Amino acid sequence: MAFFCPFTAYIGIMNSIIVENYSAEFGESFTLSNINWTLEENQHWVITGTNGSGKSALSAILAGYGDNLSGSISGLPERVELVSFEAQAELIERELKKDDADIMDVISEGTPVREILEEGKNDNPDFDSDLLEELISKFKLEHMLERSFRKLSTGETRKIMLIRALVNKPGLLILDEPFDGLDVDSMAMLNELLASQVDRIPMVLVLNRFDEMPEFITHVAYTDKGQLHHTVDVNDKQAYDDLYQLLHLKTTDLEVPETDNSDRPPALKPEDPLVRLSNIKVAYADNEVITGLDWTINPGEHWQLSGPNGSGKTCLLNLITGDHPQCYTNDIFVFGMQRGNGETIWQIKQYIGYVSTALQWEYRVSISLRNVIISGFHDSIGMYTKSSDKEKQVANQWLDLLGMKDRADQPYNQLSFGDQRLLLIARAMVKHPTLLILDEPCLGLDDINRQLVLALIEKICASGETTVLYVNHHAEDQISGISKFKQL
Amino acid sequence: MSNNYFNTLPLREQLEQLGKCRFMSMDEFSDGVEALKGKKMVVIGCGAQGLNQGLNLRDSGLDVSYALRPAAIAEKRQSWKNATENGFVVGTYEELIPTADVVLNLTPDKQHTPVVEAVMPLMKEGACLSYSHGFNIVEEGMKIREDLTVIMVAPKCPGSEVRAEYVRGFGVPTLIAVHEDNDPKGEGLALAKAYAVGTGGHKAGVLMSSFIAEVKSDLMGEQTILCGMLQTGSTLCFDKMVEKGIDAGYASKLIQFGWETVTEALKYGGVTNMLDRLSNPAKIKAFDLSEELKVIMRPLYNKHQDDIIDGTFSRVMMEDWANDDKNLLGWRAETAETNFEKTPAGDVEISEQEFFDNGILMVAMVKAGVELAFETMTAAGIIAESAYYESLHETPLIANTIARKKLYEMNATISDTAEYGCYLYNHACLPLLGDFMKDIDTDVIGKGLEVADTGVDNARLIEVNEALRSHPVEAIGKVLRGHMADMKKIV
Repeated sequence: MAFFCPFTAYIGIMNSIIVENYSAEFGESFTLSNINWTLEENQHWVITGTNGSGKSALSAILAGYGDNLSGSISGLPERVELVSFEAQAELIERELKKDDADIMDVISEGTPVREILEEGKNDNPDFDSDLLEELISKFKLEHMLERSFRKLSTGETRKIMLIRALVNKPGLLILDEPFDGLDVDSMAMLNELLASQVDRIPMVLVLNRFDEMPEFITHVAYTDKGQLHHTVDVNDKQAYDDLYQLLHLKTTDLEVPETDNSDRPPALKPEDPLVRLSNIKVAYADNEVITGLDWTINPGEHWQLSGPNGSGKTCLLNLITGDHPQCYTNDIFVFGMQRGNGETIWQIKQYIGYVSTALQWEYRVSISLRNVIISGFHDSIGMYTKSSDKEKQVANQWLDLLGMKDRADQPYNQLSFGDQRLLLIARAMVKHPTLLILDEPCLGLDDINRQLVLALIEKICASGETTVLYVNHHAEDQISGISKFKQL
Repeated sequence: MSNNYFNTLPLREQLEQLGKCRFMSMDEFSDGVEALKGKKMVVIGCGAQGLNQGLNLRDSGLDVSYALRPAAIAEKRQSWKNATENGFVVGTYEELIPTADVVLNLTPDKQHTPVVEAVMPLMKEGACLSYSHGFNIVEEGMKIREDLTVIMVAPKCPGSEVRAEYVRGFGVPTLIAVHEDNDPKGEGLALAKAYAVGTGGHKAGVLMSSFIAEVKSDLMGEQTILCGMLQTGSTLCFDKMVEKGIDAGYASKLIQFGWETVTEALKYGGVTNMLDRLSNPAKIKAFDLSEELKVIMRPLYNKHQDDIIDGTFSRVMMEDWANDDKNLLGWRAETAETNFEKTPAGDVEISEQEFFDNGILMVAMVKAGVELAFETMTAAGIIAESAYYESLHETPLIANTIARKKLYEMNATISDTAEYGCYLYNHACLPLLGDFMKDIDTDVIGKGLEVADTGVDNARLIEVNEALRSHPVEAIGKVLRGHMADMKKIV
């Protein structure tokens, strides 16, 4: 049977999107002002800029976020999908809220992954079930479809969010840091996947790293202090190189601030390992996450831990920090204590500085920037005791280093994702911990701050009092002091 | 047939027990978990409270395991999964209870009698039995073996929050008590304090109370202001708005999320702050409505309190338990059929302030309910601290459940005891407010006051402000919230 079809090749579905004199407010603390921007047919954009410059905000206005103060946007397609850490955090928060629903005594199991993926099915006529099945098999997700969404690892949730956006067949796809949190294989797969959709879906990517820019990108927008500073056609070699240079400022003369030595945990025997895990086994009803693992971390031995998404990295770290309940059923020796002999988790945590994406999601409090850093002395999320003058002084030095001195008393929860991450890294380092665990610390950081953080880690590695355990996907983020590698 | 313990006491003793409640100071917890160190703690029940309290206690260095019924273990039920996946030792009552120094009964109220009867003969000489709610002791008159110590440790938050706050390095407000008839070695208080430290409760504030004060105030609060008033208010306000032509989706949303929004203001700054969120004319209007409501509803609050104190309430409810929950299930089905419940919240934006401006009657209902419950409780001999926690403090927690899934969620998450009392209240209160509701229009529910000029009479405003601020629930609230703020976040 033959149909008469007026539109055979339906390429470039988008009309131009025109943003005119647009200003918008995000919370009380951030304003995007006077944006003029045209996204034409067949263009694919990257937005870049430093942390807190308004990259994410600029992308988010296309998805309807922010309170419009003035100006207009025209030509937006009917369906716009936005994938970002904020959106991911929102979804996780929604799932966590379900978990609170137990004033009686019910433990919520959370929404299964399949349900999350198929949320658009009912109200979106364009929902592409075939593509969904194809992506599930491509990303090898079959085994996790019935699992609870909030039990997935960071990288796994990210993949689910991306697939969810694609199968809704949006007229515009906005991806805020799509590659962060993905392992090398998944990154390559995603790149390929996006490349296969570029003819059908116009894309806007927010990227901190230039080296991650996919080849199909045609234009770059650079934001600074809440404004669209300038735009560059990637074929304009000179302009493009200048921009690259701008983002590669070097950090020099860096010093790690001193710490408050008045309340150090009991000294450890120098001959003992910091951590000794023997024949570790972690299993849930349906599957074994870790089997038969041994690992010893000696003082001064800096380690890098790597492994694909879902391989159990975070689980392993949680066994060390005491945050995984099965630490009580395993043979674990940490900081002079054999686990399960009447020690408290606070005795363990006093030796550890820790940062991860999971921590950032849990760190949902409206305390000041300064107190976030000080909370690192107390191993708490939020502050529940009075801080000492010395603690405040140390925190101020860190704020100075991060360029946040003048914002010390502002609330933490209104910061951008990247700025929050920087603060949590300072929080982890503030007490010069015996063991510093950095689980993908650079996630969400721009190039300048990434270099700042990597340089800080190198200094701390060299200082001799702290042993570093570093988890990372990016091969290029090598730390010079790290000589031991663990692959899961 | 059970014997009401409270009714066996002489009046002097009854009053003394009802009046027990004291906010403990931090230095009373300087011994930490020492009194429980090395002792074997066996938890019965692995629901949200059982599991999360156990996780905290273990992370505080204590020895925790779970006793489950053989069927739960054999069929690998959820409780078995909860305990084993979290790396706890699990065994039958026969295996674990005889080894226990402390048995933590964290099962639902209704199961207390059979559970305690099964466990008591297995417990070793001189061990301790712990409750988190005193209904079984006080209302059912359960007699515990004389050699056993009986204590209560009751975190005043859902189980998930008990855990989440602990992990953050904090805790949730907790009530502790010792059953004086069962404290043969005089160690009850030390054990209860150590338990509260183990769950992190001491960091957020601990109230030292009695089994009797806990039960009588808890029942009163949950039946009246906490669940009953919100249930009755929801259906009345919704039906009124629809009757007056307001979009049903909007009405549904205003109520579903309105309770949460207005009681959030209550949480931070008491009734005064909740009313301060209104414009001056609206505040005076809400005040007048609540005064009217208090006059109409006072006899009902008195009746609930009287029935709770003399045991009528628990006797009637236990008759329903014996009758396969006929009333409870019937009322539950009725609630599901109310128009408010059946109308989904509309896809409309309602700003935080709009919930106040268009929900004046809801504010008035919360105010009237909180004050009446507080006044009635204190008049019955319950001390102000208890009365505050069981009225004002918990209202936002219940309002949150309505925001999630309306009355269904509220009634599903509260205990059966609370749910039963809530329906009792609702049935009496609906007809009681019939005449009052006839005069209600959209200016106080749905649309807000439409006045061109927000001016008010100075003298009247001063009078209203003074009345708000001088209510006794505000005085004690200020003190208790102050304690909490000292301990809680330094913002």
